[in-house]
Amino acid sequence: MKKVFVFLLLSGLAAASFADELAIGAKAPQFSLVNAVDGKTVAFKPGDGKLSVVVFTCNQCQYAKAFEPRIIELAKQYQPKGVVFYAIDPNDEAQYAVESLAEMKSRATGKGYPFPYLKDGDSATAHAYGARVTPHVYLIDGGGTLRYRGYVDDSAKPEERRTTGLSNALDDLLGGKSVSNQTTRAFGCTIKWKS
Amino acid sequence: MRRTLLILLLATSASAAELRDITDPAKIKDVFPAAARIRVVNIWATWCVPCVAEMPELRAVAKALGPEVALAGVSMDNMIPEMTRQKVIVFLDRQKISYINLYYKGNADDLSRFLGFEGEMPVTIAFDRQGKEVWRHQGAIKSADTIAELRKLLRRMQ
Repeated sequence: MKKVFVFLLLSGLAAASFADELAIGAKAPQFSLVNAVDGKTVAFKPGDGKLSVVVFTCNQCQYAKAFEPRIIELAKQYQPKGVVFYAIDPNDEAQYAVESLAEMKSRATGKGYPFPYLKDGDSATAHAYGARVTPHVYLIDGGGTLRYRGYVDDSAKPEERRTTGLSNALDDLLGGKSVSNQTTRAFGCTIKWKS
Repeated sequence: MRRTLLILLLATSASAAELRDITDPAKIKDVFPAAARIRVVNIWATWCVPCVAEMPELRAVAKALGPEVALAGVSMDNMIPEMTRQKVIVFLDRQKISYINLYYKGNADDLSRFLGFEGEMPVTIAFDRQGKEVWRHQGAIKSADTIAELRKLLRRMQ
């Protein structure tokens, strides 16, 4: 009995450490953030009828940068199918000047982002989604429900890619099916939270 | 002249950090010396800011503890297309890291599943001789806390 209790306690602790991650099936948090490219506020209201991809990314992380061309490619592929993409930088610009609005604008325009690049200045949106790293992606259906969270792909190297987490989930939902692989382990750089 | 060259050559090779290629996460346990009662695995990358910041802390841990505790770093640099193992060797040399490091060339998802972490680096995990996990720290370690923790574990194992 004692053993079972200890096991349950440990299991509970393990689960608790990731308890703040948004659960599959949960209502996605709304956000209203400034787009670094034009200074305008972009609002996402879950349940707007559109399939939406929220990508937490940033300017400084090599791994996020390695996925940048792939995210742009996926946006160009799925936007004509009605999917909306939002890129959000949750890193603290006070500690890292490279994450400032000006640097974000420079990156987004230089790389030709086909989506807004939003500043989550106080990291509140990242906290609300339970994002941990960059890149970390979330797919929300038209009803505002989270359907997939995790990595873009399991490798940043196209030749070593085995699982395409985000595009698989998009294809499932666009095909009228439920997502077969709903959660994956996002790998990347720890979000640089505001201290 | 020949002797000087030989000394220089030996000095250069002695300072080079040891970096072995690995693709199977299950092989990590094979790099530890038999004498080590606690085997510490640190997952890191040169592009990971907190990982770089904790390097001096890891160096201090390796220096403070005897052969009963062995460290092995697992570099995840190969995840980035433009990275090379040579860049990792240069980094380890600059950081004066003398414990063994592994250049992981397998799938990152396989490794995070095998070690049970959520893809957030650095993470440091200690195992006993039987491969049972005895301690884990997510995020950058502090050398004083880690040394105290590992010494406590050694005492418990006696």
